[in-house]
Amino acid sequence: MKMALLEVLNLSVEFATNNGVVRAVEGVDLSIEEGEVVGIVGESGSGKSVSSLAVMGLVAANGRVSADRLSFAGHDLLALSHRERRHITGRDVAMIFQEPMTSLNPCFTVGFQIIEGLRTHLGGSRAELRRRAVELLDQVGIPDAETRLSAFPHQLSGGMNQRVMIAMAIACNPKLLIADEPTTALDVTIQRQILELLIDLQRRRGMALVLITHNMGVVAETAHRVVVMYAGQVVEQRPAAELFRRPRHPYTAALLEALPERSIGRRRLAAIPGVVPGLDDRPDGCLFHPRCAYAVDACRGDRPPLVRDATGYTRCISPLEAT
Amino acid sequence: MAARAVSAPSHEFVVTADRLTRNYSVRLGLFRGDATLRAVDGVSFALRAGRTLAVVGESGSGKSTLARVVTLIEPPTSGTLTLMGENPFVAAGEARRALRRAVQMVFQDPYGSLNPRRKVGAILEEPLIINTGFSAAERRERALAMLAAVGLRSEHYDRYPHMFSGGQRQRIAIGRALMLNPRLVVADEPVSALDISIQAQVLNLMMDLQERFNLAYLFISHDLSVVRHIADEVMVMYLGRPVEHGDKQRVFATPRHPYTMALLAATPQVDPEGRAKPQILKGELPSPLNPPPGCAFHSRCPYADSRCAAEAPAARTVDGRAVACHHAERIAAQALV
Repeated sequence: MKMALLEVLNLSVEFATNNGVVRAVEGVDLSIEEGEVVGIVGESGSGKSVSSLAVMGLVAANGRVSADRLSFAGHDLLALSHRERRHITGRDVAMIFQEPMTSLNPCFTVGFQIIEGLRTHLGGSRAELRRRAVELLDQVGIPDAETRLSAFPHQLSGGMNQRVMIAMAIACNPKLLIADEPTTALDVTIQRQILELLIDLQRRRGMALVLITHNMGVVAETAHRVVVMYAGQVVEQRPAAELFRRPRHPYTAALLEALPERSIGRRRLAAIPGVVPGLDDRPDGCLFHPRCAYAVDACRGDRPPLVRDATGYTRCISPLEAT
Repeated sequence: MAARAVSAPSHEFVVTADRLTRNYSVRLGLFRGDATLRAVDGVSFALRAGRTLAVVGESGSGKSTLARVVTLIEPPTSGTLTLMGENPFVAAGEARRALRRAVQMVFQDPYGSLNPRRKVGAILEEPLIINTGFSAAERRERALAMLAAVGLRSEHYDRYPHMFSGGQRQRIAIGRALMLNPRLVVADEPVSALDISIQAQVLNLMMDLQERFNLAYLFISHDLSVVRHIADEVMVMYLGRPVEHGDKQRVFATPRHPYTMALLAATPQVDPEGRAKPQILKGELPSPLNPPPGCAFHSRCPYADSRCAAEAPAARTVDGRAVACHHAERIAAQALV
């Protein structure tokens, strides 16, 4: 087995709020190997974004991150000072977000914003930095890159701004790119372009890509391995083809069943009853048991552990048959 | 339920649109004068009770402007809208008010569309206060009946919107739209702000209510898999113009406009086996202020030739649906191979 690039063991994130401490992420284990594409899927409140922010060290001030292990390329991120950590995560781990319009600073040209990152982490003369920025815009498919350097974000479309974000993210040749809902705010045909761009860059540069999304189709078409999160926990994890063909956790199965494309020819969709539990009303036992069609008394006792099987992991005391 | 806002229909269609066009005048700058933005350009359709027409398109396609015209928020620049056999922009007095009541709307964002300072009961009763002479007791009874109809409980009557999840709020918004027994509900991206498991609940609810009240839906969405599930017929729009319009089965099984084909191919799917490799559309959506000459899609179309750049294609019938493309037959022939 290849060495894990990112290794996360028992990650928890708690937030102090006016109503006491709430746990957004609860005991997440995650390992990403070099050059791997991993999809993290989940509905709102599943903790998929907070987990990745915790890895980047970007959790808000009222949040407390704890983990048994949080290492990147052999560095123990928990033992490093803020400065040292920023040096590593700013260069070797990069992140892009859902809203390209709000992620870029509206007061500066895109050229300035790309060069800022390059100067901080790589350095070089002004002419060199500028040449490198043009190269980057070229690589992410922005036509007429030289003149676009002096464009402000509001002068570009959503798709173009997301390309600029990607250019900034790959500027320092990261080993890991975390993309949090990178195409959710974009139109379908533009979404397709951005996905193809991300996969193309991932292949050519051999970087690892973590794709956080609620769109099952996006994950099915791009990821090698899929992690399914529900209410702050990982509930299932296995290779993508396997997961979509034979989900073993009842939540994964129900989520896939609820997709309109799996109900072609049927009048009613297979909806999951109830709602995703909020941060402060998480049930005892299995987090999914109030909505689960297979729940039995034992599901209401303790939180089930994540159990290994032939192709992955499931957090369920009686996983669905792998037939 | 309550008395119908409009007496029993003698006409075939709840709503018909005949070459609806809506232009806006946009100021370009101090000295550059105004430009005309054709937000909706020549849209025609006819919708019966109990049926769903889905309007599909990306940003700038004019689908939300179409919703504003059909809900009588704005008059069309040209063309005719007919509701229950009458033109609502010509009708006056009580006739006009009755037509207004017959069309209601559900919005995309259930967080923005409900007044946070009013209780659910008051939100549901407001249309009755404005439009009917019901007593407080009658209004309450109807609001409670509607809560049950949209899958909420009577104790929710006294709660505020912030105490509900997104899916429950959308149920409230749908309930509010149905309080006056409309004939047509215009839903603008009603499930795109919801999680998948909740989206399925709300779509099921909308289909149940359609059956129960014989509603016509104008369903606006960018999500083709949702449209495929809920629609009876589909209209695909690009930069204000309908490019393909027909029966859902036909349009999804054998798309004949290159833009429809591209949209279908670009939609990510969970079961990609047996699907053609998606053709990636080059370029971005052109600005609706400055659309390309000829066919508005020609700048991104893999089939475009010189004729497409010069001459805007008129809609014609190909394979039982309307298509606005010079090459629809050729594309149909290629698809058979």
